[in-house]
Amino acid sequence: MSPPQQPTSINPNSLKIQLAYRFLHNLNNLNTKRSNLDNTRIRRSHRVKLAAYASMAYVVGSRRAWSRAILWKIRNRAVLARFKRVDHKITTPLRHHHVHAGSVKRRTPSCSNPKREYSDPFGNSGQEVKLRKLVPGSSTMDALGLLDETADYIKCLATQVEVMKNLVDLYSII
Amino acid sequence: MNTEMQHCPYTVMNIPGNTAVTSGTDVSVFERQQARMKWQQQQQQQESLFKGNDHQFRGLVEVKPDPGLQYGWPDFSDGCQGQGIPSLMEDHNLKKRKTHEDQKQKVVLKENSVKEKKIKGCSEENSAETSSKEKPKAVEGPKQEYIHVRARRGQATDSHSLAERVRREKISERMKYLQDLVPGCNKITGKAGMLDEIINYVQSLQKQVEFLSMKLATLQPRLDFDIDSLIMKEMFEVPAVAYSAEVANSAYFQVNSLLEMGNNPIDAMLRRSIGGPVSIPETFVVSSCFNQMQPGVTWDGDLHNLYRMEIQQDSSTIPFQPHKFTGLYEVSNLKMEL
Repeated sequence: MSPPQQPTSINPNSLKIQLAYRFLHNLNNLNTKRSNLDNTRIRRSHRVKLAAYASMAYVVGSRRAWSRAILWKIRNRAVLARFKRVDHKITTPLRHHHVHAGSVKRRTPSCSNPKREYSDPFGNSGQEVKLRKLVPGSSTMDALGLLDETADYIKCLATQVEVMKNLVDLYSII
Repeated sequence: MNTEMQHCPYTVMNIPGNTAVTSGTDVSVFERQQARMKWQQQQQQQESLFKGNDHQFRGLVEVKPDPGLQYGWPDFSDGCQGQGIPSLMEDHNLKKRKTHEDQKQKVVLKENSVKEKKIKGCSEENSAETSSKEKPKAVEGPKQEYIHVRARRGQATDSHSLAERVRREKISERMKYLQDLVPGCNKITGKAGMLDEIINYVQSLQKQVEFLSMKLATLQPRLDFDIDSLIMKEMFEVPAVAYSAEVANSAYFQVNSLLEMGNNPIDAMLRRSIGGPVSIPETFVVSSCFNQMQPGVTWDGDLHNLYRMEIQQDSSTIPFQPHKFTGLYEVSNLKMEL
């Protein structure tokens, strides 16, 4: 068997393995980082959560809008925090980043087919908006893209939850 | 110029579109004229054939292909309205077949009520001018970004409604895929209900991640407290496969590996278990971590092997009792399976 190279979303085993590897790697890095002196549980759990999402997004890479959004959000955490304090308005990043974080100002969805109605394609009132809020990076997509992203996001999220459950079981043997 | 004209009784002007005739014998000019007439007739025929096509193609609206092509679904695009196609066209092989599997062709070819939508790049069709005799299979070959849609019998053939129908079918396809992903929603049929389920599922997954991360965060530093007591316990214990001490031993081993190896627990475990480079067997250990426990594994020999490798490591005074630790004792099995 070769070491994991590119994640293949078709094979769930390799996705799980890569997720686990990446997540453990991130966890280890967490414990050795500089700002870990404050060992309050909340901060620690927040960091673990960030590590989980980061590992998930990293394994998927930049193939998906949600992974790009997560990665961008994490990598620019400091910048975003600073902007939040100063400006109360966050502008989009450099143009060559095809990334839209949830807190970033929404680009108008006129880049795609303008005939489509983004607000109400299904005929249901608030559901799509809710879904867009849940899935990161899905604010500038039409309904089809949104469903695609949701499917991939659900798959990765479920695998990540499984990995974390196993880890917790492992740790709780002690 | 005048002399030339006088010489040739059949001048150029009789034949439209031909400026190449200069001189020659009467017979040859006449023959050429006839050939040209025939050619022009053929051209006109072809033009009448392709006239409808040209109108369609020039009125194309080029739509960007669907960016969400991940599952190999063919691209759909909006098409322009089909023009009135003469009956010649319908018999002709220029009809394009659809690539969408669902839309079956209930249309009789000669039925005039059905209009075809030909969505194709202009360049490809213009090159097919000369291929009126050929079967236009070349047209179907490079299906780049467009899909050919045929209206069903008795349905609206408006380009907008066709595109709408295509889009709706795409959405329903993806909803079906989501239905497989989300557990327990086989009975729900409507889109609204499915969306609700999907939203609930995503929310529950995110909450689970948060909860598990909190649990992991609490579990990690807890090892700090136990290590001292465990070390004291293990100092005086002989390495034996005693069931009573197993839990403590395994716990100690895990604790020790988690902490003393410089916060690289997985690497430490890997190094202990295999003693080789970390990159390759990491996946095995990790995957074994997430396999189920296999009772009844005869691993006495393995235990000895692992113990020997253990001794070779730095911290060799640790008794090694990984009975309950699912990861390590399956590693050797995995090594065989390689």
